[in-house]
Amino acid sequence: MATLEIKNLHARVAEDDGEQILRGVDLEVKSGEIHALMGPNGSGKSTTSKIIAGHPAYEVTEGEILLHLEDDDFGDLDIPDDVRTWNLLELEPNERAALGIFLGFQYPAEIEGVTMTNFLRTALNAKIDEREELLFGEDEEAEEEEAGYDTSPMEGNVDDGEVGVAEFQKLLKEKMELLDMDEKFMQRYLNAGFSGGEKKQNEVLQAAILEPSIAVLDEIDSGLDIDRLQDVSKGINALRDEQGTGILQITHYQRILEYVEPDHVHIMLDGKVVKSGDASLASDLEDKGYDWVREEVYEAA
Amino acid sequence: MSAQLPANLSVETVREISDARDEPEWLLEARLEALEALDELELPDVIQTPGRRWTNLEALDFESLVDPLNQSDETSREAPEDAVVLSFTEALDEYGDLIEEHFGSVVDLETNYLTALSAALFTTGTFVYVPESVDAEDVKIRAEMNSRSLFSHTLVVTEKSSSVTILEAIESGNDIDDARYFSNLVEVVAGENSYVQYGSLQNLDEETYTYSLKRGDTDTYSTINWIEGNLGSKLTRSDVETELNGEASETKIVGAFFGHDDQHLDVNARVWHNAENTTADLVTRGVLDDEARSVYEGVQDVGRDAWSTNSYQRENTLMLSDESEADASPKLIINNHDTEASHAATVGQVDKEDLFYMVSRSVPEQQARNMLVEGFFVPVLEEIEVDEFRDDLEELIAARLH
Repeated sequence: MATLEIKNLHARVAEDDGEQILRGVDLEVKSGEIHALMGPNGSGKSTTSKIIAGHPAYEVTEGEILLHLEDDDFGDLDIPDDVRTWNLLELEPNERAALGIFLGFQYPAEIEGVTMTNFLRTALNAKIDEREELLFGEDEEAEEEEAGYDTSPMEGNVDDGEVGVAEFQKLLKEKMELLDMDEKFMQRYLNAGFSGGEKKQNEVLQAAILEPSIAVLDEIDSGLDIDRLQDVSKGINALRDEQGTGILQITHYQRILEYVEPDHVHIMLDGKVVKSGDASLASDLEDKGYDWVREEVYEAA
Repeated sequence: MSAQLPANLSVETVREISDARDEPEWLLEARLEALEALDELELPDVIQTPGRRWTNLEALDFESLVDPLNQSDETSREAPEDAVVLSFTEALDEYGDLIEEHFGSVVDLETNYLTALSAALFTTGTFVYVPESVDAEDVKIRAEMNSRSLFSHTLVVTEKSSSVTILEAIESGNDIDDARYFSNLVEVVAGENSYVQYGSLQNLDEETYTYSLKRGDTDTYSTINWIEGNLGSKLTRSDVETELNGEASETKIVGAFFGHDDQHLDVNARVWHNAENTTADLVTRGVLDDEARSVYEGVQDVGRDAWSTNSYQRENTLMLSDESEADASPKLIINNHDTEASHAATVGQVDKEDLFYMVSRSVPEQQARNMLVEGFFVPVLEEIEVDEFRDDLEELIAARLH
């Protein structure tokens, strides 16, 4: 049961005189829980998600993002007591991912020339390596690995790493079946030429493969038709139910929350989480918009 | 500007090269004509931008670079059944008439100073002849340069309805201190309805200056596809050209280069549509690291009578360091309104969002960058029909990545 704890997070755009965007965000997401983070455009939702993952475009000026790990978080791995709490702000993005943070992008990158299969197996092996290095200080073959794979970018690494080609193919097939995805995706280039819906489904597939403790999904519902929305929602629920992933679902609309029922709903305004509640809060927003929250906050202030 | 004729080049030198190979009179004459033309010929044109001439061929000191009588190479040739693959010199005995007919018919030996120099002095090269209706898969020519200078001439002739895939690779053998010069002229005569893929991989050491001109001539319904890989050499000047002279003939010119340190690459792809219903596709992908520089020129020239032409050109350069430099000049010359054509060139760096996407999925930054670079070359790799060539190019690209 991992816990992502965001405390008093302040951040700005990382350039000279960069705009201050986050002004004290507090949030706690445990694995196995589903949280919805809602708010109008420009309130800081996407920025929060990118900062959790370590996007270099933002600079944290105050506050902390902590990840607390527990015994059962990495299957058979025995996590040493002294490395159970991590300050994510001190870690590189790939290290955060290795410890179980996953960011689902609103606009996933399209990468020509790198197949889905190759990319995901490389990512999975990199995750396993990095995690062991972080937890136990082991650096086996790390230098060699960093030199990149030394074979075809179309076929992937011959060096098997932890998860070999055959084993990975099997895993990928299973996960794709679970998400009703066509096997043809396996050999396609990463997101290249995918429709909007296919890209979002692919984000969920990647989370299913990498098995994060906490998945932050940035507007994964945008641009989806009803069928695709249901497919993606089914995938998100499976992440929680079968892998125990904690979900931080960033969304504008209640629509996806009909299929992915949140345990907690948070409302962000002007760079802060100003109100939290249960699923009914999302329905209130749908009915009444954000103005009443804004009024409530200003009155209280 | 023409270069001065070095003192070590003379009629006697050329005669000695020709005599040593027991060449027919017509070839000696061709060499001597080329030698004579040197006095008048200019160096190849290079791209100029305001205040800058990108490739400084004038600085080549032929006096010290060219040692005509001490050329040495070790070349292996693998030939499939039914196709003729011989060293140029050996082929003269048996296929002299065919060679005489086509030698210098595709590449004008007096195109410029460097082509004439090559024609006058060449000592190595290959003759590939594919008779009618023969499918010759995977001709492999692997050459090693073992001298200060080496001049090579290759002639490919395919007869009606034949096909051939060729890998030609050149690398450095013996270590020699100081600068070296390698020159390579390739002529492809593609007969009616024949198919040629000519793949070339240049990986010479970085003390070597390289000039190559490859040119093909298509007959009706024939195809010439070029794959041009340049990784080695201190300065590379590479010209790959097709004249689409036959109706409904096609060409692809696919290029890949990867420069590092202070390598300089001047790569050019040109096509002339001279007949109806012809198609051309020019695709070049280059990567530059450290202080490497590249300059690219692509020309699609659609002739007045080339009705119903399709012609496309794309060039993309990816720069991995702030110190690298690139310039690209895609050109489209259209003299015929019944043409579908496009051209584009881009110069850019690794996309930061692409990189972050991959890193956020656990892949370390350097490894992600390497995957992006290797993926960038995939459109070129996918075109290569000789597996061994694709493997070699992939390996060289991977080896160059940090």
